[in-house]
Amino acid sequence: MIESAIRFVYLSLSIASVYILVAIGFSIAYGSLKFVNMAHGALYLLGAYIGLFIAFEPTVGGTLGNYSPIGLALGFTAAIVLVPIILFGIGVVMERLIAKPFYERDMLDQLLVTFGILIIIQELVAVLVGRGGLSYARPDWATGAVSVSGIVSASRWRLIVIALTALFLILLYAFYKYTDFGLAVRAGTEDAEMVEMLGIKISRPFALIFAIGAGYAGLAGILGGSIFTVQPEIGLDILIPALLVVVMGGVGSITGTILAGLLVGATFTATASVYPEMATASIFLLAIIVLSIKPSGLFGTDEVVA
Amino acid sequence: MSQETVSEQVDEAPLFSWESWDRIKYSEGFVFAATTAFVLLWSWLFSRAPITSELGGYHSLATTMLIWGIFALGFNLLLGQTGLLSFGHAMFWGGGGYAAAIFAIHISGDPILVLVVGTLFTLLLAVVTGVIALRLHAVYFAIITLAMGQLLYYLATSPLRPITGGRNGLTGVQIEQLFGIAYLQEPLPGVFGELWVNYEYLFIALVFVLVVVFVNRVRKSPYGLIFRAIRENERRTSFVGLNVWRYKFAAFLMSAGIAGLAGSLYTIESQFAGLSSLYWFTSGEVVIMSVLGGVGSLFGPVLGAILYLYFEGVVDGVAIIGRYWLLMLAVVFTAIVWAYPDGIWGMIKSGGAKVRAKLET
Repeated sequence: MIESAIRFVYLSLSIASVYILVAIGFSIAYGSLKFVNMAHGALYLLGAYIGLFIAFEPTVGGTLGNYSPIGLALGFTAAIVLVPIILFGIGVVMERLIAKPFYERDMLDQLLVTFGILIIIQELVAVLVGRGGLSYARPDWATGAVSVSGIVSASRWRLIVIALTALFLILLYAFYKYTDFGLAVRAGTEDAEMVEMLGIKISRPFALIFAIGAGYAGLAGILGGSIFTVQPEIGLDILIPALLVVVMGGVGSITGTILAGLLVGATFTATASVYPEMATASIFLLAIIVLSIKPSGLFGTDEVVA
Repeated sequence: MSQETVSEQVDEAPLFSWESWDRIKYSEGFVFAATTAFVLLWSWLFSRAPITSELGGYHSLATTMLIWGIFALGFNLLLGQTGLLSFGHAMFWGGGGYAAAIFAIHISGDPILVLVVGTLFTLLLAVVTGVIALRLHAVYFAIITLAMGQLLYYLATSPLRPITGGRNGLTGVQIEQLFGIAYLQEPLPGVFGELWVNYEYLFIALVFVLVVVFVNRVRKSPYGLIFRAIRENERRTSFVGLNVWRYKFAAFLMSAGIAGLAGSLYTIESQFAGLSSLYWFTSGEVVIMSVLGGVGSLFGPVLGAILYLYFEGVVDGVAIIGRYWLLMLAVVFTAIVWAYPDGIWGMIKSGGAKVRAKLET
C-alpha cells in the first residue's frame, strides 16, 4: 500500500516537473506582459538541442551532419548550468525583437505570429540537424535506481529532475516574494499603468521575468530531453500540455500553475495505471472539465481572460 | 418596354465603366458565376493547360485543393467573421471524415448520404463542444478547442480502436454510384474528360460552389453583419440587446458543419479516413491557410489553401529547396501576420486598387 502510494507520488511529480517548468514561463509572460507566446515551445526545443551539443558530441543528420560528430562534450553538469544561462540570453533577445512590437497588438495576432515563429525555429532545427531522434546519454551519477525510504526503489535520474524543479521553483517564488523586482512584477501584473504612474519603469522587470521564463523552458528542455527523445517536433509536443497547465492553473499565477501541473501529473499517472490507453487523453479531458467548471482557471482572475 | 429602356441606357453609357463594374463585382450573382467559371477551368488550368501546367500541378492535387478550400471557407466563417480562433477544427474535419467512412463501410456508400451523415455528425459534435468552448474567450477558446481536438485524436488512437481502426485508419471505403447513374471514378468522355477528368471532380466542384454561395450569403446578410459586430466589440453588441452567445453558437455550428462536409468529401475522394485528419496540426494547417490567404475576404482562405497545398504537394518535390517548403511557408505566414494582416488576397486587392486609381485619373 505505502509502496504503491510512494511510487504514485514520485511518478506524478516527475511528469509534472517538466510541464511545470515549461508552463511557468508562459504563464508569467502572459499574466504580466499580456503576451501570448507560442514560441515558448521553441525555447524548450532549443534548450534540449543546445544542451545536447554542450554535453556530448552527437552524430546528427541534416546540414550539420557533414561535420558530425559535433559538439563541445563538456558533460552533463556543464549543460545543466550553461543552458538556462544561454536561454536567458535568447529570452532577452526574443523579448526585444519579437514580443515588444506586439505588446499593443491583438492577442490573436500575438498567438499567430509566435506560432509562425515556433514553426520557423522547428524547421530550422530540422534542416540543421535532421529530423531523426537523438537521446541523452546520462552520466553515471544520474543512472541506476535509488531506494526511497527503504521501501521502493526509484530511478535516480527522475528524482534529480524532481529535486532540480523544486529548487528552481523555490528560487522563482523567492524572487517574486522577496525582491524589489518581484514586487514590481507583481504590482505590474495587477495594474501596469498604475505602476508606471508611480514612476517605476515596468518594462525592465517584465523583460527580466520574460527571460527568466525562457531560462526555465531551457532547463525543462534538458530535463525533458533526457527523459524523452529529442527531435524537432518536441517544442510543439510539450507546448500543448503546458498550455493546458497554464490555463487550468489560471494565467499569471505561479501557485496555480504548480497546482495544475501536479494535477496533470497525478491524473496521468492514475489513468496510466488503471486504463493505460486513456492516459494521454485523460489530460485533455481533465482540462476540459476544469475549464467548464471554472473558465478562468483554478487561480485565475477574470480580468486576464479578456 | 422596360427591356428597351435598359438597352437604350447601355447604348448611351460607355462600353465599360468602373461604377457598373463595382455593381457587378459585389453582386452575389457575380460571385456565383465567377466561382463556377473558376471550378470548371481550375483542374484543366492547374494540371493540363499548355503553359500553366508547367508549374507542376496534377489533377488529384487540384481536387484536394478544392476540398481544403471548402474547409478553409468554413473555418474562416468563425475566425474572419466572428473573430473566434479555433485551434481544434481538425475535430470537425476528421470527425466528419470518420463518420462518413464508418457510414460508407457499414451502411451505405451513396455519396450524397455519406456527405449528409458526415455533416450531421459534425453538427452534433459541434453542439456538444460549442456549449462548453463558447463560454471561454480569445486565447482560452483557442486552447480549449485545441484540447477537445486532441482528446478526440487520442480517443481515436486507442480506446476507440475497434471503431476507428487506430493507427491504420479506415481503409476500403466503397462509394456507390451517384444517383445510380455513374461511379465517381468513371472518366468523362471527350472534351469533358479533358476539362474535368471524372464525375468526382464535378461532384466536388458543385459542393464547392454551393459552399461559396452559402458563405457569401451569410457574409452579406444582416445575420452575418452581427457576426462581424461581435468580432469588433462583443460587449457593445450585447448592449444593443442581441444575444451574443446565440450568434456565436450559430457561427460555430455553421463553421463546423462546413468543415465536416469538407472532411466527408475528403473521405469520399481518398476512400480513407486516417488519424492525421484529427491531429492538431491539421487545425494548425487550416489556420495557416486562412491567415496566409487573408481572413477578411471570402476567397482569401481558398487562395491560402491552394498556396499551402501547392507548397506541400509540388514544391516539396523540387530538388534542394524542396525540403524547406514548410520553413518558407512559415516565414511568409509570420511576415504576413506581422506586417500585413489582410493576407495575400488583401495584397492583391490593394494592388488592384492602386492600378485602378492610376487608370481612372
